[in-house]
Amino acid sequence: MIPISYNFRSLFVRKATTIATALGIALVVFVLASSQMLARGIKKTLGKSGSAQNGIVLRKGADTEMSSIIETPLVGLVLAAPGVRKDASGKPLGVGELVVVLALEKAGTSGQMSNVQLRGVSDDVLAFRKDVHLIAGRPAQPGSDEVILGKRLRGQFAGLQLGQHFEIKKNRQAQVVGIFEDDGSSHESEIWGDVELVRTSFGRDGIVSSVSVTLESESKFDAWKAALEHDKQLNLQAMRESAYYEKQSEGTAKLVSFMGGAIVFFFSIGATIGAMITMYAAVAHRRREVGTLRALGFSRGTVLSSFLLESVLLALLGGGLGAFASLGMGFVHFSMMNFASWSEISFSFDPAPDIVLRSLAIGGLMGVVGGILPALRASRTSPVAAMRD
Amino acid sequence: MSDASATRVSGGASGGASGGDGAAKSGFVSAAKGGSTAPTLIRLSKVGKTYYRGKEPIEVLKDLDLEMPEGAFEALMGPSGSGKSTLLNLIAGLDSVSRGTIHISGVDLTAMSEGARAKWRSQNVGFIFQTYNLLPVLTAAENVELPLLLTPLSSAQRKQRALIALRVVGLEDRAGHRPDQLSGGQAQRVAIARAIVTDPKIIVADEPTGDLDRHSADQILELLVKLNTELKKTIVMVTHDPVAAERASIVRRLDKGSLT
Ligand SMILES: Nc1ncnc2c1ncn2[C@@H]1O[C@H](COP(=O)(O)OP(=O)(O)O)[C@@H](O)[C@H]1O
Ligand SMILES: [Mg+2]
Repeated sequence: MIPISYNFRSLFVRKATTIATALGIALVVFVLASSQMLARGIKKTLGKSGSAQNGIVLRKGADTEMSSIIETPLVGLVLAAPGVRKDASGKPLGVGELVVVLALEKAGTSGQMSNVQLRGVSDDVLAFRKDVHLIAGRPAQPGSDEVILGKRLRGQFAGLQLGQHFEIKKNRQAQVVGIFEDDGSSHESEIWGDVELVRTSFGRDGIVSSVSVTLESESKFDAWKAALEHDKQLNLQAMRESAYYEKQSEGTAKLVSFMGGAIVFFFSIGATIGAMITMYAAVAHRRREVGTLRALGFSRGTVLSSFLLESVLLALLGGGLGAFASLGMGFVHFSMMNFASWSEISFSFDPAPDIVLRSLAIGGLMGVVGGILPALRASRTSPVAAMRD
Repeated sequence: MSDASATRVSGGASGGASGGDGAAKSGFVSAAKGGSTAPTLIRLSKVGKTYYRGKEPIEVLKDLDLEMPEGAFEALMGPSGSGKSTLLNLIAGLDSVSRGTIHISGVDLTAMSEGARAKWRSQNVGFIFQTYNLLPVLTAAENVELPLLLTPLSSAQRKQRALIALRVVGLEDRAGHRPDQLSGGQAQRVAIARAIVTDPKIIVADEPTGDLDRHSADQILELLVKLNTELKKTIVMVTHDPVAAERASIVRRLDKGSLT
């Protein structure tokens, strides 16, 4: 009823307060959207590492590959279980892999160490993991001290660059001969070398961490799992690979969501109070204007909705700014500790539209919450206020 | 309320009452002082207004009986604090009485809810304030258009009407100006355009020339006379200014809440 341009222009008359208030709300929306984008990005990165048609076997009771120990003779048993797909020559599709954590010096620091996952893989790993592609260099020679590098580690640590060397154990150098990508999965934050290289370097003779297989179909999973877990002596647990990686991401994603949520909670209280103070000031300042509107016959409800609208406009102005800025996070990659593996994984923010819109809506909601009391006060302005001070 | 009906003279709808309002309302016919036979438009019966400062009552208006004929240009004078604005606000339906009744073209204002009064104001009263009270962020044309937002008129019709009203006050060429780009006299003329744009019966003006220099004040008074004589508006004006009061057809004096 009262034209929206009235609210817009009134906001611009008080430029400084409008900008300050909007920035507060922008910050909240930015943090909210970014933390959700990161949590989503983490889930996506780790979730991509697994397929529902693949199964993974760990030692019973182990949460991660790192804490799992399986004796090599059991690998054959897992591959021979019913439901495992076979290639043209009748060889079951599956690999036993040994995963360890290696401390390396971060690039550009003098001696600051951080953990990297090193995966000991079999010769035919590239045949098994079909999404993995070399984007530079060549595959590692089987039985050599050569490794290939996930692309997100490239340049992140000393020696992790095509053609360079790093110490895999004291006085033993490994050379990077290739760089691979894997559709953004967590494998891209790993170093892959021959399983024997990893065994001998880390003193893990005769064991692997996990056995991964490709099943004939997703529906074969239950039978395969039952066959392996039926024999309690084997002490194995079988999971869908997708479920395993999802579980791996859960803790980190939750932590990010929680920390983001906590920051947003406190910031939003501050920003909402800021909006409320700004709107109260506006109402006090425009008492005579509001009295005039009331005298002219505009109802209390109309005045209430006009001021509420103004508050929401203010919030959306800030929210839009914050949401727009958060889209920029889509270009940011960053490394952080994955708490499931205690090693660094590179994550990116997933700028999903639903996250951006939801964050913007919450910004608008702050306008409603902050604006309701001032708008109520405005609506109670007596029309006599038009006549008196 | 009952004493109001006692003083009520019922009769057929008076010829002067402008159409539109229902026939259920009765007109008032009074043999006004001064020989005029115009029907009564505004009738106050035993109207009192008491404010409370804390617990202490302040009787601002004391049992006023008052009739204003349709088409009059009334001036209300009196010392500061005598209750002029209070009385004007009651007549304009901005405020509610403490006692008594106010009938305007037969409609009992004092029986209305606040919401109903707001609607009634938008249809029947045009306001002119001492401080103009234009919305500073709106242009002259937008300010004039404002009361029309409460009517079912289309946007194009509203804009056209606003321009006509600006033409009446001679400021068509200032339609796009903001209030801070207008002189005091111009701002008050825009306010007058806003007051007449809905074609109300009554115009109330509280010290409309109080903030203006003599020349601008005279222009405003000239306009008010024109609204009264040409557009047949009933005008109730509060003023301190004897020159302003001279332009009115009826002058009433208020002192300590009573008409003298
Ligand atoms: N809202 C109010 N509360 C208390 N007293 C008021 C209020 N409004 C007006 N008054 C008092 O009523 C008296 C008349 O005021 P007013 O009608 O504005 O006088 P005038 O317009 O003749 O100068 C003054 O004494 C004023 O202080
Ligand atoms: Mg006054």
